[in-house]
Amino acid sequence: MSTPESFEALRRANPRNEAGFAEAVDAAAGFVRTEIATAGDVAPPRRSRRRLLGLSAAAAALVVAAAVIAYSTIGSTGVQSASAAFEQATTLTAASAERSGTAVVRMTHDGKPWTGSTIRWNGDDIAVKSDMPDRNGRPGSALLVVDGVVYGVEDGRWLEMGSPKNIDPDSGTTPGETLAAVREDVGGATLRRITGGMTGLTSRPLADGFTVYSGAVPARLIARETGFKERQAIRVLPFGSVAHGEAANPAALLETAVTVGSDGIVRELAVEWGTWTYAVAYSKLGEAQPVRAPKNAVPMSEWRKLGRLTR
Amino acid sequence: MSQREPERRRRFDALFESYSSDIVAYCGWRAASTSDAQDAVAEVFLTAWRRVDELPEGDAARVWLYATARRVIANQRRSNRRRAALQERLSREAAPVSQETALELDAVHQALARLGARDREVLLLAEWEGLSPAQIASVLGCLTVTARGRLHRARRRFRASFEELTGRQHTTPDVSRRRIHEHA
Repeated sequence: MSTPESFEALRRANPRNEAGFAEAVDAAAGFVRTEIATAGDVAPPRRSRRRLLGLSAAAAALVVAAAVIAYSTIGSTGVQSASAAFEQATTLTAASAERSGTAVVRMTHDGKPWTGSTIRWNGDDIAVKSDMPDRNGRPGSALLVVDGVVYGVEDGRWLEMGSPKNIDPDSGTTPGETLAAVREDVGGATLRRITGGMTGLTSRPLADGFTVYSGAVPARLIARETGFKERQAIRVLPFGSVAHGEAANPAALLETAVTVGSDGIVRELAVEWGTWTYAVAYSKLGEAQPVRAPKNAVPMSEWRKLGRLTR
Repeated sequence: MSQREPERRRRFDALFESYSSDIVAYCGWRAASTSDAQDAVAEVFLTAWRRVDELPEGDAARVWLYATARRVIANQRRSNRRRAALQERLSREAAPVSQETALELDAVHQALARLGARDREVLLLAEWEGLSPAQIASVLGCLTVTARGRLHRARRRFRASFEELTGRQHTTPDVSRRRIHEHA
């Protein structure tokens, strides 16, 4: 599909295409260099070394403690078998998650709910729902992709955003791209990355036949996407929650526990650091659970007639 | 001069060479005035100079610069109590262009002005700055899924407004543009 004329026009209107833009950049260069020369050799502000060292020491202590526990409780042969069982669970879970499933994400801070969302997928259909109100107290967002049609919530009503052919490829918003983003987190890639980077692995059987595998995982393997906000690094946890505190430090080792059911399928991934907890509970992996289109969705054309589009 | 100074200088020069035009463009459409934009560009790169040892590598540095520019401009607005009037700014004097180009630009600017501030920002970060939804989420400090949703909505709204203003539909590109004047 070719790019709609509206977006071609928008791209042509990019200020970079304006006459005089190159001169503006040159002028800015001169201005910046003058400012820097005036500022002199300013020593870059340092983050607290003590804090960084403290983190490193804590992380190192965690690894050492975990390693000692692993060695003393299950021994080297036990570690190998635990690793093998863990790897097998990851592979099995990834295969089950390929078709369908539900992931419930919960994050807490100081023991209080911080973010929460539920993701359901079935083949190429997907439902993403925020389970908590936003910071303004409004109901959480929701997004559906059913039979290739995207639905969203506007003013408390379902809005039919349209079919894939109306969505520009490579815009990052097509149903396929949305689905791919979710699949990356629910599928094997994320679990393999996290479990593969776990050190100091210990296993603890539970009475109900479940097993908890624990260890330390570098934050960079859990919260991957890097960005910056107000000079602070931000990284994003699976399913899009922003990682705060130590989780934003890629080198920090985060205490991680993966619960595996008696059937060998991963049930929960839980990570703790500082006053934060992050958990993803998986269920119905591989079970058919149709995602249905909302019955009363308003088509975009109707929404436009109501004069809501240009609000 | 410290031993690391040449190294820092080289890194900063490379950063400036690679991304100065991006930040000039971004501050140009985000700041309230040309002088504010110039101030913002200077502050962004001054901050980058001070923190050059801590900056991420590659494309992440570009996202860092956008995020810093956004914060600098937000501070400008707060401290000066200025409000960016995008519609007014978009109608400023520009270099002479053809009648057809002028009409199209006018429609683009009107359609942008009809968008809410959030929609406009996310759309232009994608279309003018070429950021992916994940990068936009980093700049805005929101979830990727939120950025993706906002971008989707903004694109639909912009397209609908533009087509309404120009009378053009994607499937009928030769429809008369007279309606631009009706809405001007």
